[in-house]
Parts: sequence; structure tokens; C-alpha cells
Amino acid sequence: MNHTPDTPDSQAANPDMFRKLGAITRQLHDALKELGYADKLQGTVEQLPDAQSRLSYIARLTGEAAEKVLSQVEEGKKEQEQLAQRGRELADTIRRVPALAKAMPELLEWSTDVVALAEKTDARLTEIMMAQDFHDLTGQVIARVVGLAGTIEEQLLGLLLESVPTGQPGQDKAHELAGPVVNAEGRTDVVTDQKQVDDLLASLGF
Amino acid sequence: MSTPMKFLIVDDFSTMRRIVRNLLKEIGHADADEAEDGAIALGKLKAGAFNFVVTDINMPNMNGFELLAAIKADEKLKHLPVLMVTAEARKEDIVLAAQNGAAGYIVKPFTKATLEEKLANIFKKLGL
Repeated sequence: MNHTPDTPDSQAANPDMFRKLGAITRQLHDALKELGYADKLQGTVEQLPDAQSRLSYIARLTGEAAEKVLSQVEEGKKEQEQLAQRGRELADTIRRVPALAKAMPELLEWSTDVVALAEKTDARLTEIMMAQDFHDLTGQVIARVVGLAGTIEEQLLGLLLESVPTGQPGQDKAHELAGPVVNAEGRTDVVTDQKQVDDLLASLGF
Repeated sequence: MSTPMKFLIVDDFSTMRRIVRNLLKEIGHADADEAEDGAIALGKLKAGAFNFVVTDINMPNMNGFELLAAIKADEKLKHLPVLMVTAEARKEDIVLAAQNGAAGYIVKPFTKATLEEKLANIFKKLGL
């Protein structure tokens, strides 16, 4: 799905634009040098890898936390299932032995309550499990920011090294994926819930 | 469901693979395997007998669109229903998935009910 990155042909088609971009880059570099910002720029460049590693650290730790929660949820769900099963067996026993129900009438009610509460807790555990998808969503955003920081670092380094970027690195993709929508307000090109997905597909006959 | 189905869950995030696997189990589909990107998934699909693919889109090596295209281009695999479960919420991505033969599209974050509903719709449509 990739298309050809900017080629000498495309540069040749816009010689003025590339000449102007080159001039702006040189002016920016000279201005930074004259104003003494080159050192600050160097400091920024040096800090970027640190920012990247901090973000990666956050992604790793939140990922590990999510995995721990999932392990606990999975164990909890097994226990709730056992509890519900025991409750169902107890209720069956009470129904089969009238003397038990007669001696303690609330026994049947308690056993059915145990089943209902175990099922309710199981549903809550499912919700807790689903909430761990934050790791996937935030992880994708963090990966993008880390990638962006890498690009900025590379470009700033290029500026510091007095090289004029011409058609800079990075693959230009015909269909680049956007990742999670961080802010959908005012946007018409994205969906914000599953209903909009379904409506869109239905409008296309799917 | 008359016959048990084997699912392949494809996502580069282990958390999400685990969530989908647990949800499928709760819905009644305990037989599932996992792959962390499209390339690994394609290898597993060619080697094993799967009945259904649930895949993310944004993944390294081979993304979900590329996996979908590879499945639909393979005579032995093209019958497989592919459900996209992704954070990609752009309309053009949804349309692209549908045009390329995806059986369904779910945007993250999603609920158990949504997954259950989409699977039921796909099964019904395919007569499974």
C-alpha cells in the first residue's frame, strides 16, 4: 500500500518550493546560531531520548499492571464460577430434602442469593477485564509519540549538523494508519462509537 | 452453534489478545490460538485448521489490512470470516475493510455484548 516517496521528479516539479524550504532552513539555522539557541537545541536533542525511554517505561509498566489485573480477574472468575456452582448444588439439595427447608426456611433463599451474587461479581470481573484494554489504546498513542520524538530528534540533529534536509527520511505511505482517536471533537472523518460503524457499513450495504 | 469453532486472535498487544480470548471463552468459544502480527497469523492459518479470524489492524510486520488481503487472495483461506477489532476509527478504514471482504468491524474500546452481537450476525449471515 506504499506509494513512491518524494522523488527527484517531484522535487523537479516544484523547484521553487524546495529552494525556498532550503533557504528557510538555512535562515533558521543561522538565526539559532546567532541567538545562541544552538546549545539549547542541543540540550533538547539530548533530552529527547530520555523522554522516549520514560514514555516506553510508562507503556511497559502499565502493560505489566494490566497483565497482573487480567491474571487476578481470570482466577477470580474461576472462583466465582465454583461459588455459583456450589450455590446451585446447595439449592438443589435443599429442594430435594424438605426437612432442611423446614428446619431453616431461609436456607434456600441464601443459596439462591449466593448464586445471584456470584454471577453479579463475575459480570463485574468481566467489566474490570474489559477496562484493561486501556493498555492497548494508550500503548498505541505512546508508541506514536515515541516515534514522533524520534523523528523530531533526527530532524533537530540534522539541523545541528548544518545539513539541509532534502525530502527527509520516513516512508510516505499511501494509506497510513491513524491509530486511536485522541480527540474526535469537530471531526467528521472518524467514528466515535460502534453504532456509527454499524450505520456506515449498513449505508454501504454490508 | 452445532460444531465447535477454532478462532485465531491477532493483535500485537498481549493484553488485548487475552481479553478477546477470555471473552470468546465466555461466549462459548474456548478453542482459540493467538498471533502477535499478521505475518505470524498467516503462517498459523496456513498450518492449522481455523474457522474464524479476529484481528487488529495496526500491527508491525503485517498489518490487519494486509492480513485480510492475504487471506482473501489464498484459495484455501478465503472462506474464513475475518472480524476486525481495532482502534482505527476513520470512516475510510471501515469502508476499506468492508470492501476487502471483512466480515465485521468493531472499534475499540468495545463491550462483550458488541462482540457477541457481531459474532452472532456473522454466524447467521454465513449459516454457521
